[in-house]
Amino acid sequence: MQRSKNSSNLQPVAEAGPGGPGVSVGGTKSKFQILPYLLVLPTLFFVALFTIWPTISSFVGSFFLQKLNIAKYREPSFAGLANYASLFQDSTFYHVLGNTAFYVIGSVPVSIALGFLFALLINRRMRGIGLARLALFHPTVLPMVSVATIWLFMFTPDYGLFNSALSFLGYRGPENWTGNPDLALIAIIIVAVWKNAGYYMIFYLAGMQSLPREVYEAARLDGSGPINTTVRITLPLLRRTTLFVTTIAFIGAFQTVDHVFVLTVGGPSNASNILLFYLWQIRFENLNVGKASALTIVLIIVLLVFTVSNFLISERRSGNE
Amino acid sequence: MRRSVLLSVLLALLVAGTGLFANGTTETPASSGPVTIQVFYPVAVDAPIAQILNGYVTQFEQANPGIVVKPVFSGGYTDVKTAIQTTIQGGGKPPALAVMLATDLYDLINAGYIEPLDPYLAKMKDSSSYLSDFYSSFMDNSRYNNKIWSVPFQRSAVVLYYNKDLFAQNGLSAPNSWASLATDAQKLTVRNGSDVSRWGILWSTVGLPYWLFQPLAIGAGKNVVGPSDTEVYFNTPECISAINYYNSLSHTYNATPPGAQDTWGVSPGDFASGRAAMIVHSTGSLAGILKQAKFNVGVMAVPGKQPGTYASVPGGGNLYILKDAPQAQKDAAFKFIQFLTEPDRVADFSIKTGYIAARKSAYSTKAMTDYIAKVPQAAETRNALQYAGKELSVQDLAKVRDIFQNYLQQAFNGKLSADVAMQKAQTEADAALKEFK
Repeated sequence: MQRSKNSSNLQPVAEAGPGGPGVSVGGTKSKFQILPYLLVLPTLFFVALFTIWPTISSFVGSFFLQKLNIAKYREPSFAGLANYASLFQDSTFYHVLGNTAFYVIGSVPVSIALGFLFALLINRRMRGIGLARLALFHPTVLPMVSVATIWLFMFTPDYGLFNSALSFLGYRGPENWTGNPDLALIAIIIVAVWKNAGYYMIFYLAGMQSLPREVYEAARLDGSGPINTTVRITLPLLRRTTLFVTTIAFIGAFQTVDHVFVLTVGGPSNASNILLFYLWQIRFENLNVGKASALTIVLIIVLLVFTVSNFLISERRSGNE
Repeated sequence: MRRSVLLSVLLALLVAGTGLFANGTTETPASSGPVTIQVFYPVAVDAPIAQILNGYVTQFEQANPGIVVKPVFSGGYTDVKTAIQTTIQGGGKPPALAVMLATDLYDLINAGYIEPLDPYLAKMKDSSSYLSDFYSSFMDNSRYNNKIWSVPFQRSAVVLYYNKDLFAQNGLSAPNSWASLATDAQKLTVRNGSDVSRWGILWSTVGLPYWLFQPLAIGAGKNVVGPSDTEVYFNTPECISAINYYNSLSHTYNATPPGAQDTWGVSPGDFASGRAAMIVHSTGSLAGILKQAKFNVGVMAVPGKQPGTYASVPGGGNLYILKDAPQAQKDAAFKFIQFLTEPDRVADFSIKTGYIAARKSAYSTKAMTDYIAKVPQAAETRNALQYAGKELSVQDLAKVRDIFQNYLQQAFNGKLSADVAMQKAQTEADAALKEFK
């Protein structure tokens, strides 16, 4: 199992070379070497400090009742699964889970598809292509808070730019994007897609530019049209990129809440409240440390399940090739 | 394969872990020589707050050579509170002084972050006349258990801004009741076909809806909160009629867009440019509006249900001393509080920022009387205070406020009737407050 496959996806160099930690090369028993351990030590230190320790501490904290704004619960006291029970009895929690699912499903595939499309469009040599690339990429460079602030004004009812553009295209529906409970979450998704599509485009563009030219020449000689080439050749060859982009997009969707803060504050009536924003509210507004820890553990489990299954599925697929 | 799984596990952990657990610690220098105090300060309005406060710090340090004041500007009110929380939770020393929301009182006491100011006030020459000089509607948020916990500083209130020129052109006088407010707003709404080129009134109900809504409940005759820190009054006939009145502004009078409105950010600009004849907003927007508006700006308390009644509600931040700071720093912090709240400085701060001067005597300083002669609206913001009720502040505030706002918006958006929404809000809020009784 240790050297069975040479296919770790994100870190092609991770496969240990000569003298890799604990790996015996060529069957001969190598001496214990301190250097590799020293080299990973700084990373290990930071991972332990900022990842493993907080995870453990919130895992432990999730079993303790602690509410900073109630004097008698100020000091943590062991409460078993009470925090989880309170979380799973909380109707807002399910509402927020539903919103989060809608948000992830609404924003991730669309931004990835757009990113791929943009990459296809600008992966060519022509005059002014640099400008087009810049235009598509620039939302990525802007901080999310500025993006959301700009969009807040674009979403303004009556005369906002977004509504003006939509009405030019014939849209006659409701315009109150951030105040209407049926539109608020969609408004959040629109901003996320606008911000992220350019970022994913860069990965696809890099992937496309490293694809072998011969394959395309062969395809052209065989009379394959542009759509056929894209679907049958480009997409499969970029599977690794897609896996990577899907992973970071999914995690990113759980990670970003800046636009929620600026645009809707989770409202109206929690219509645009998503998991991390709810976590923030419980921890820093309601000062309920125990429940926030329990919610953190739920968040970690959701992310783990997705990331692990994503890798497993992709490993299996590459194994079938 | 196992390694990929391990990597992905680490990746997911890393992402989930960072950001959620920021542990800030603040080192305080050893207390040899001058006392150095930190002041955590939120910037919540469109005014050069940092520059103004730094000016006061320089003056203070000249007058008090033994004290060094280091203001820390860290975002808005929430950021300041979060920074202090994480500092204390992480085992660090908090700053000696901070400006936090007046309504945070109970949360801050329960968390054990702040201490009463009575021992410091007792050392003053005449603390009772000092305290009674602050407007009482501001001091309401400073008292708990017969102790004083904060000093009002950057305070505001909800007022109605109205375009005096438009009122005069249409032969209208300033509204003095719900009925005249609605009919005036209706008359001043201008439609071109289906487009509205001017709304009669804009009244934001997204963001912090409870605040702009409170004058309606107060105007109906009963505030949503009383002197008790464990009671709220959401399901009263007054509160329900206030919601129905708000909804009638759009449904009956067509004078404001229907449903919950996210117009907090844009309405001062809309008002100043003539796209809205009236707005309900913070007094903090006065300076910006006066700068832009090319017409006579009227400022008044929000009219109440009965003719001749008015309502308003205060807001903004107070000065708090943090319990865990060293005593020498806390003494210095109180000196700085006294310095900041001297009438001349309160007047100066009000003129430069647009906040209401928190002390009555500030209005008899020369700088203020000169300013009011030029800008009479500044006196109107203070006059609104006499109609002000208490800002919503109870135990477990964030939760109770979330409950209230959630159902308030459902009622505005027609998802529930005002009656049903407020019954539910009351039940949930009572359940949350039971713990504190």
